Amino acid sequence: MEKTYTERIQIHKTNKLAGLYPSVKLLVVVLYTVCTFVLGTVHFTRVDLSLLLIPWFLVIPILCASSGALGKCVKALKAVALIALIILLVQTFLVPGGEVLVRFGFLRICEKGLKTAVSLSFMIMNIAGIFVWLFQTTENKEIARALEESGMNYKAAYVFTSTLQMIDILSENSKTIMNAQKARGVETEGNMIVRAKAFFPSLVPLILGAVIGSEERVLTLEARGFSIQGEKTHLFNLEKSGAEKTAAAAAVMITILIIAGRIALWVL
Amino acid sequence: MGAVIECKNVTYSYPLAKEPAIKDLSLEIERGKFYGVVGENGSGKTTFCALLRGFAPSFYKGELKGEVLVEGKKTTDYGGELSAKIGYVFQNPFTQISGVKDTVFEEVAYGLENFGIPAEEIERRVVEVMQMTDIEALAMKSPFDLSGGQMQRVALASVIVLEPDILIIDEPTSQLDPEGTESVFAIIKTLKEKQKTIILVEHKIDLIAEYADEVLVFKDGQVIAAGDKRKILSDMSLLEKGASLPQVAVLGSMLKERGLPLSEIPVTEKQAIEVIARALEERKKQ
Ligand SMILES: Nc1ncnc2c1ncn2[C@@H]1O[C@H](COP(=O)(O)OP(=O)(O)OP(=O)(O)O)[C@@H](O)[C@H]1O
Ligand SMILES: [Mg+2]
Repeated sequence: MEKTYTERIQIHKTNKLAGLYPSVKLLVVVLYTVCTFVLGTVHFTRVDLSLLLIPWFLVIPILCASSGALGKCVKALKAVALIALIILLVQTFLVPGGEVLVRFGFLRICEKGLKTAVSLSFMIMNIAGIFVWLFQTTENKEIARALEESGMNYKAAYVFTSTLQMIDILSENSKTIMNAQKARGVETEGNMIVRAKAFFPSLVPLILGAVIGSEERVLTLEARGFSIQGEKTHLFNLEKSGAEKTAAAAAVMITILIIAGRIALWVL
Repeated sequence: MGAVIECKNVTYSYPLAKEPAIKDLSLEIERGKFYGVVGENGSGKTTFCALLRGFAPSFYKGELKGEVLVEGKKTTDYGGELSAKIGYVFQNPFTQISGVKDTVFEEVAYGLENFGIPAEEIERRVVEVMQMTDIEALAMKSPFDLSGGQMQRVALASVIVLEPDILIIDEPTSQLDPEGTESVFAIIKTLKEKQKTIILVEHKIDLIAEYADEVLVFKDGQVIAAGDKRKILSDMSLLEKGASLPQVAVLGSMLKERGLPLSEIPVTEKQAIEVIARALEERKKQ
């Protein structure tokens, strides 16, 4: 017999890590963030750099690779890395304070600048990295379902889910609008300034379109029984991969070890 | 039969509007009948629909005088239950997707999920409606990636699947090709056979003439003509008031003026062929 549509919309994952129950993934994300902050307080060298954040970041590609999503994650991480790099450079060269460490011509690196540059940029890489892992291995509808299951109000869950969907759609629409602007003779390619000039006019139709649509969207939902009281049916159900307990235990263990290590460093 | 919806001296103004969008409207919608709503742009058709469904004033706010009763109860006294009674398909297909589902199948199933219908029944009903509206091939596609016409059908399917007794459909064929338009009317026809009350806004007057029972003609927020389609659509005085009438009716009345003894002014093609043939027969005999 052919599969029913209800069967076809379910998500089956073979990879045990990628298939983790969303709430366990969220636990991993939270604990990873906690660990990142703890590790960020460990300073090395004469100017107190948070160097541990650099090897700690290796966890991300390992996690992504073992979830079978390295390719997708690397693509998203590249954008994060660019932002982190800009922050690193700006902070390093522009923030004054403390001892001047190096000087080349008019550029100089100060103690305080270098310190915040390293901790901030790697903090960003780590935290954004773990979220990239979460979102690249979890589909929107899994997150939505997990939110509702966690007892979140259905209205709040709707806002969250539709926002996730909208991000995809808006980025699609912005491409369409960019192309339309290009057709009208607006330059959209070239250096940063040219792009910025093209970017802002394209925002107007983008946002306007989203706002105008929202009124009828509300009524559409209303017409589909969105605000009806009582139990709702869910055709899509979350699955467990079987590795939940192990993964949660491992995440908790690592966090405890890191915190214990940090305390030990203080005491010793 | 009896009235399912009743408007009593309804005057409605949108917030900040200088003039009311609907002026002193009184009419009854009878159960099981198919109403075709026509009128030029901005004449108040959509506002009328919104009033029947209670969106005006509960959502649009604004000022309502008089009352709109659905099964004897004021629309302003209903809560969410009105969505089970009245299905509503909006004019703009692009804003009619829930925005949280990533396949057409789930999109059509969304309302039934909200109503808490058991999963197996949802599957069965959704498949049936997808076949009826000819969108089963799109079942696993994202609702965001559809063409205007496909979206319009998905929007229609999402409402039909709820099996409401009353259906309000605002220009469901604006994005459809002639074939798609015919198929939408065929769907509406089967709904009518199921004793549903249908209120359809549509500019394609020839199709209204063919399928509807009653016609409501709007102009400047008022109903300038209402009643049996044969009566309304053959009333040539409406042409002067800016309404459009079926081509066969205009032709028929011209033939009659020129002396062809038509027994009545036809409003559909089929009727025209009969009436004109009969008149020609008669003339031959004379
Ligand atoms: N949301 C709104 N706020 C304020 N005024 C509105 C709103 N919607 C419609 N109107 C006004 O109310 C009047 C009736 O509009 P309505 O949309 O009901 O016309 P319509 O007959 O459906 O036209 P169309 O054939 O273009 O769909 C118009 O003058 C319009 O400008
Ligand atoms: Mg309208």
